[in-house]
Amino acid sequence: MNDILTKQLARINLYALISRIMMKEVDEEFLEKFESDEMILSFFPNYQNWEKAKEISKKDLLEQFLNVDFTNLFVLHLIPYESFYRRDDQMLETGGANPVVQLYNEYDFRVQLDKARCVSPDHIGIELEFMYMLATSEYKALENDDYDAACQIAKIERDFLRDHLLQWAPMFLQNVKAETATPFYFDAASLTLEFVLSDYEYLNDLISDEGCRYTA
Amino acid sequence: MINESRRTFLKGAAFTVAGASLATGVFESVAEASKEGTAEFTNMPESLDFYPPLEKWDSFRELDGDDWKRGGIARKGVASQENPDGIQVHDYTIVPCVCSNCEAGCGLTAWVDKKTLTVRKYMGNPLHSASRGRNCAKGYAAESQMYDPDRIPFPIKRAPGSKRGEGKWVRIKWDDALKEIGRKMHNTLKTGDEMSRKLIMYHVGRPNENGFGHRVPHTMGLDGYDSHTNICSAGARQGSIQWANDDRNSPDWANADLIFLQSSHAADAGHYFQQSAGLIADARKRGAKMVVLDPRLSNSAGIADLWLPVWPGTETALYLYLANRILNEKDKNGDDLMDHEFVRNWLNWDRLMANREYLKFMVTKGYISRMPKDESYESFVEVMKELYAPYTQEYIVKECKLEGQEYKLDKLFEMFIDAGPKIATYIWRSGAIAHRGGWMITRSAFLPLALRGAMRGDIGGVSWHHWHKISIGGKGDAATVAGKKAPKVDVWNELAWPPEYPLSTYEMSFILPHLLMDEEWQNTWRARGLNVPTKLAVWIPRMYNPVWINPDGFRWIEALKDESKVEMSFNLSPTWSETNWYCDYVLPTGLAGERHDQQSEPSKPEQWTAFRQPVLRVALEKMGWKPKVEHRGTLEAHIKAGLGEIWEENEFWAELLCLHVDPDGSLGVRKYWESKKNPGKPVTVKEYYNAGFSLLPNLKKAAEAAYPHSEFPYYEFMRDRGAWTEKTNVYKPQEKELEFDGTYYRAHGHKYHADEVEKDRFGVLWITDHEGRKRSIGVEVDGKLCEGFHTPDKKLDLFCEWLIDWKWPEYALPIYPRNAREYDKMIHVVSQVHHRYMKGENEFALNTVFRLPYNIHTRSVNSKHLMEISQNHNPVWIHTSDAKRLDIKRGDAVKVRIVDTVSGLESGYFIAMAVPTEATMPGVLANSHHAGRWKLKNAVDIPGFEHALGVMGVGSPLYEMTMDGKVGTLKPKEGIDAIKNRPKSWQFKEFNKDLDNIWWDGLSGSWQNAVAPVHPDPIAGNHAWNQKVILEKADTDDQIGDIWVNYENNMKTFKAWRDRLCRPLNTKDTERRPYWMPRPAVPLSKKAYTFKVKDL
Repeated sequence: MNDILTKQLARINLYALISRIMMKEVDEEFLEKFESDEMILSFFPNYQNWEKAKEISKKDLLEQFLNVDFTNLFVLHLIPYESFYRRDDQMLETGGANPVVQLYNEYDFRVQLDKARCVSPDHIGIELEFMYMLATSEYKALENDDYDAACQIAKIERDFLRDHLLQWAPMFLQNVKAETATPFYFDAASLTLEFVLSDYEYLNDLISDEGCRYTA
Repeated sequence: MINESRRTFLKGAAFTVAGASLATGVFESVAEASKEGTAEFTNMPESLDFYPPLEKWDSFRELDGDDWKRGGIARKGVASQENPDGIQVHDYTIVPCVCSNCEAGCGLTAWVDKKTLTVRKYMGNPLHSASRGRNCAKGYAAESQMYDPDRIPFPIKRAPGSKRGEGKWVRIKWDDALKEIGRKMHNTLKTGDEMSRKLIMYHVGRPNENGFGHRVPHTMGLDGYDSHTNICSAGARQGSIQWANDDRNSPDWANADLIFLQSSHAADAGHYFQQSAGLIADARKRGAKMVVLDPRLSNSAGIADLWLPVWPGTETALYLYLANRILNEKDKNGDDLMDHEFVRNWLNWDRLMANREYLKFMVTKGYISRMPKDESYESFVEVMKELYAPYTQEYIVKECKLEGQEYKLDKLFEMFIDAGPKIATYIWRSGAIAHRGGWMITRSAFLPLALRGAMRGDIGGVSWHHWHKISIGGKGDAATVAGKKAPKVDVWNELAWPPEYPLSTYEMSFILPHLLMDEEWQNTWRARGLNVPTKLAVWIPRMYNPVWINPDGFRWIEALKDESKVEMSFNLSPTWSETNWYCDYVLPTGLAGERHDQQSEPSKPEQWTAFRQPVLRVALEKMGWKPKVEHRGTLEAHIKAGLGEIWEENEFWAELLCLHVDPDGSLGVRKYWESKKNPGKPVTVKEYYNAGFSLLPNLKKAAEAAYPHSEFPYYEFMRDRGAWTEKTNVYKPQEKELEFDGTYYRAHGHKYHADEVEKDRFGVLWITDHEGRKRSIGVEVDGKLCEGFHTPDKKLDLFCEWLIDWKWPEYALPIYPRNAREYDKMIHVVSQVHHRYMKGENEFALNTVFRLPYNIHTRSVNSKHLMEISQNHNPVWIHTSDAKRLDIKRGDAVKVRIVDTVSGLESGYFIAMAVPTEATMPGVLANSHHAGRWKLKNAVDIPGFEHALGVMGVGSPLYEMTMDGKVGTLKPKEGIDAIKNRPKSWQFKEFNKDLDNIWWDGLSGSWQNAVAPVHPDPIAGNHAWNQKVILEKADTDDQIGDIWVNYENNMKTFKAWRDRLCRPLNTKDTERRPYWMPRPAVPLSKKAYTFKVKDL
């Protein structure tokens, strides 16, 4: 059982990490945590070899490289919103008609857009954080040995990945990899892409007609 | 690496850091909110209309703008006592008004929150048929101007004992200001002599209204109106007057096939651009092409089908080249390109061909080689072909500096011809106001258009403003005791119209300080017999800031500080300004939503008018509030709503003139401002505008139907709608047939007995007016009697015959030097920045006359929104090849030395930031003159008032100034981002929570206007804005924003332009100006026009 919880915790951690990176600019506090954790760093191989990051102060790294790149990727040149990728007219759906919002509403999740600094709740960072929230709920259910509830949540996760994130995020993340000017966002995009694909496989393996196979 | 580890994600991601501490945490779980009271609102809007229907304007409820991001009412519900967290509902009264941030007069609606009595937002007015519910950034900025933290909250007066410019002010009540000013004006006028009618000057910046301002000096019998026009657009207007005796042309953008622009003005920066741009976009969507002539790659040029960077001031040559090709080439079928039917009927070629003497003069000048064989139209065409043949492609490529771009000329001609008569243009700023002879640019621009029939005023072509503009702002006479217009004024003010500039388009207002201080000039003309004023008793700028925006600013300061030259001054000004600093009183008047004005502009071929209103007053009155004193309703409403003691000109003038200047009626002024309904009291705005709007027949009918029981139906109709379109599809009015019933002719609303009317050999019908002047009323064209154009000969004047009598015979036809030898002979139409003057490798033409569309007028300095987006937007543009040659890099500080090409004198310099770019042509620098605001104090303490008044705290840095009568300097001292203890804490807090976010220092350019000497054009009278400059790298101790000015030299340069270029009136002259060329503001009598001087 501990193994299940550990696995679940790993999923939570990864969703937390990638949602945070995709949501807004990183800051010194984040970098401190990030760099102090060998496990996290292991997902960022190019960043680890990036001399610039070692040569200059965190402040300069942020101001001259990372935040500039973030702005370029997430604000100026790429459109990190599902509706842009999925609507024929490439318009953002910022209101209640957005199917993602309807889904959030269904499960009583509300996005504070001002905090997210996004114009629409189908932003990649928010969708990833939604996965984080679901995974956290699933973890709580598992902790309480409520396997049915946990399994229901796992299904929501799988459906959300299938119906939403995987429909567009791979394209967006490929674009990030092509457009980025820093190893940090290159690695972050690679990690996110690989992880969501892998997680989808994991969830499909987990879920069967009879329920979920929560086994070590 | 990651691929390999995919399977290991879940095993390996047990971070030491807890995941939750990484997540942003943007989700919250919210309990279902109350849905009570939501029936009025839906979670999703049913439609995306910006505007509710008119019937809901008095009371319109709308969810707060944060609604969408809080999830709509489905989650939070509507706010109520039981549900305090719900979405707020605003309860608005929507009051229409008109933007006042440029001359376009776009419709606005103010959304007045009934609870707080504040305007929560300004939007467009969907009922305004020209702006169509849309606005540019300046329209929406009206709110930030209204609630400017540095708004002048009450009238202030220069502190007793202090000098002008010391910056010491005291508070004064409106009542006391009215008394003091009224007394001074009364005492000035009561002598009743000729001079008394020249000593009060009303100096109006952008009027944004049609006639009220003119009525002010007119009813006092003054020749005392100075408009700003001669620094703005007089060159273009002169060219229009010469062709059509009309102030400006009026294009039909939407239906044109070619949008032909000289400069960015019409489409992205200047006159009517918001309206024009929409119509131009409509045309282009339909397939119309767009051409832009501009030395600068403006936004318009950037999206045009063709951009022609023509050396500034040589546009005339290009237009005459087009004329040459139209005259001398054939279309593919071998037919002429000229529209003979139009030219034969509507150009005054017949007068040219009948003037043998002038034709001989043309031969002697070499314009043509021999006399035409007869007076026929065919011979005229031959004359034209020969006259314009020298303007070949080879010639203009050199003249306009278009080497390597010859293909563009062919493309231009192809587009020009393909569009047929559907070519729309608006010749206005840029070339026409930038150069000596700018008027000839306009005159020549209309020639190819006329030859192609595009000047017929037909669909898709060019018409005249007079036909599309409604002016009733000065026509509320019926509501006054006088009941009629004041008579013509009998005096001529040499300070407005000096005898050197008889043909000046508008008043010579930009040389007012020079004239006031040039005692030699005053004495000479006095000795010759003119009663020239040597001072002004009262100078009244209205929303005007000549110290900043006029050339030679230090001369303005010198004159305004001199109490013997300007005895009293007060500025009717909504904001702080450089000029206010040197006035005796600053009387705060309203902005876009705080004043009454009627405004109409020729932005499309229809007649629309809009009504600017004090929106808080209207909203209050709709809620049942009534002012204690009706004729002060606007002032009282603004005090009641917490805006401050802000008034408006309409009520101010009515009260000042009725109760203070002429309290007993002895001066004959009072009756024009006294209410007919309530004698003894000033006329109210409702009475006045009700009378004015009743003059529009279609509006009258609609208003009577809509308000059958109202006392002021026409006023109320406009109060509730804010805009009205009196007539649409106004095309070709010159072809309107004159009514003649065998006994009477009816023309322009008048009736003339056949016995009074004479027809001349050219078919023009003439009458003699009560002053004994000949006036034309119509013309016979092709056997029909038509109303014709506004010119005396009722045709379009290709041939300005009157220029011969007024000493300029060589320019009676559109003409330009045909070779280098003629530059000196025709110096009046050769720009002062012509490339012939550029000798050294660091000598350039400086292009100054382009607008920064969001930052054009003195009043925009108080809008934090506009100021934020205009920071650092005014560098010196320099072509990359020039920059490379001079080793100038992006961001370098450069010293721009201004040198005059007439006097040869240097004016000084300004320091600015260089930006190398390919968006200006080689040899031509660009730096807009609409920047460089300054102030000398950050705040002013008012004795007895607890708060300091901030001065231009969102828009202008603090400077240090020196001036000694000869040399003036200005040096930036501190940016606005450094202002400590910003007096934000007391005024309009709710609207100014973001002042701490000010990141800009306000240094958006240098005050180049002060360095620039005046360049009065000897014919059109306009200031020719562009300058010859010498460019250098700045010294190490120079700072961007610095200026150094030898304004003693600038005075000499003024005199050089006046004395070397003008052909002043002399003993042979008997009139001040051609009598049919109206003075634009106040009508003057024959007596005033009469001129007599003796030789010394």
